[in-house]
Amino acid sequence: MVDPGPTDMTPAEARDALAAELALGLLEGTDRAEALRLRLADPEFAALVAKWEQRFAALHAETDPVDPPAELWDAIAARLPGAPADDARTVVDLESRVRRWRFAAIGSGAVAAALALVLLTQQPPPPTPALAPQLAVARIEGEGPGPLVQARYDRTSGIMQLRVEGIAAGQLVPELWVIPADGVPVSMGQFDAASTAQITTAAQVRALLTDGVTLAITMEPASSIPSPAPTSTPIAAGKVIIL
Amino acid sequence: MTRTALSPSADDARAVLVTALADVSRGDRAALRKLYSLTSAKLFGICLRICGNTASAEDVLQTVYLKVWDRAGQFEAERASPMTWLATIARNAAIDWQRSVAGRPVAAAALTDSIAETVADDGPAADALIIGKQTDSRLHQCLGELEGRTHHCIRAAFFEGLTYAELAEREQVPLGTMKSWIRRGLTRLKACIGDG
Repeated sequence: MVDPGPTDMTPAEARDALAAELALGLLEGTDRAEALRLRLADPEFAALVAKWEQRFAALHAETDPVDPPAELWDAIAARLPGAPADDARTVVDLESRVRRWRFAAIGSGAVAAALALVLLTQQPPPPTPALAPQLAVARIEGEGPGPLVQARYDRTSGIMQLRVEGIAAGQLVPELWVIPADGVPVSMGQFDAASTAQITTAAQVRALLTDGVTLAITMEPASSIPSPAPTSTPIAAGKVIIL
Repeated sequence: MTRTALSPSADDARAVLVTALADVSRGDRAALRKLYSLTSAKLFGICLRICGNTASAEDVLQTVYLKVWDRAGQFEAERASPMTWLATIARNAAIDWQRSVAGRPVAAAALTDSIAETVADDGPAADALIIGKQTDSRLHQCLGELEGRTHHCIRAAFFEGLTYAELAEREQVPLGTMKSWIRRGLTRLKACIGDG
């Protein structure tokens, strides 16, 4: 058992307390893992947990409803099996080959391995020139006839011009990410899936746009501010080359 | 205050949700859409309170309805209220997210007072049609009989998804002390509710 608990408890009481702890979400780490395993393995314990969930459910009446953003349903619909949207299919196809972005993004070592699967064609960076460069380019692409985004970045003005091909306009919109050495993606913002787009990079992002850094594109629910983290696998990726 | 979509009565509301869940279990996307329109605000409120930030709550809410899509066939109308079933899926999904490696640093940073102030403790919402008040009053009565700090901590665990360790830190007591407070509280709570 996870924890002997107070000495005045019988084994049955301790077991029921554990069920309550799992239902309330008090446990973490190995305690939680063990309790979850027990719930899977032991229907009686599972019933105790369900009973506690039911007891506490009355408290949900206190939580006020909050309307989610209107586009959230579209994101759900796109993830249902057989979703018709083109953009969703692209993401799902990639998901079948690449581990979830989230998982990849957790460890900086893992992110390199995961991206290696996505970076299908990629130009090796040329030797860094001696003079202070002002321009950078990146070719951000997915599979075969899939997305291709060519980026031209003016390091003086901080403006990135994008030439966009092969991204279907749909419920989800493309968002550009820079993935620095620590492997944690930082959003550069969303852009129009039409033929050309322009992103004015934020000051903290500019410092990250170094030679060889990875850029990636994911499809995200539309948002007026950069997303805090990607919610899906990238549909395209490539590296920055400073000219 | 009352969710007008579910008027005029709780029985009708329940019947609508039960029917929608049955249709979802047969792969009816329109039924899931309907279920979403009736319940997403409530479930989003639950996720938001635990996740502590909108972006993560949106992410979790997506997974909630994908879980509902997969599990609708497991719902047993004769044993559970549909809204309780849905609310439990939402809360567990939010807790799962928070306990995951991905959720941890974000949640720790995002559990700010401002969020807590926005959504916490402004008394029971008039949502009687979605979740009945019967057990509600009993549970509240029994919680009210617990020692004040224990009551407070159990509520924080429920609404904010705090762990033993987080509660101990917040209350500035040793972990073992927090565990024995809560376990004693839970035992008393069960005895008070008197449902086995």
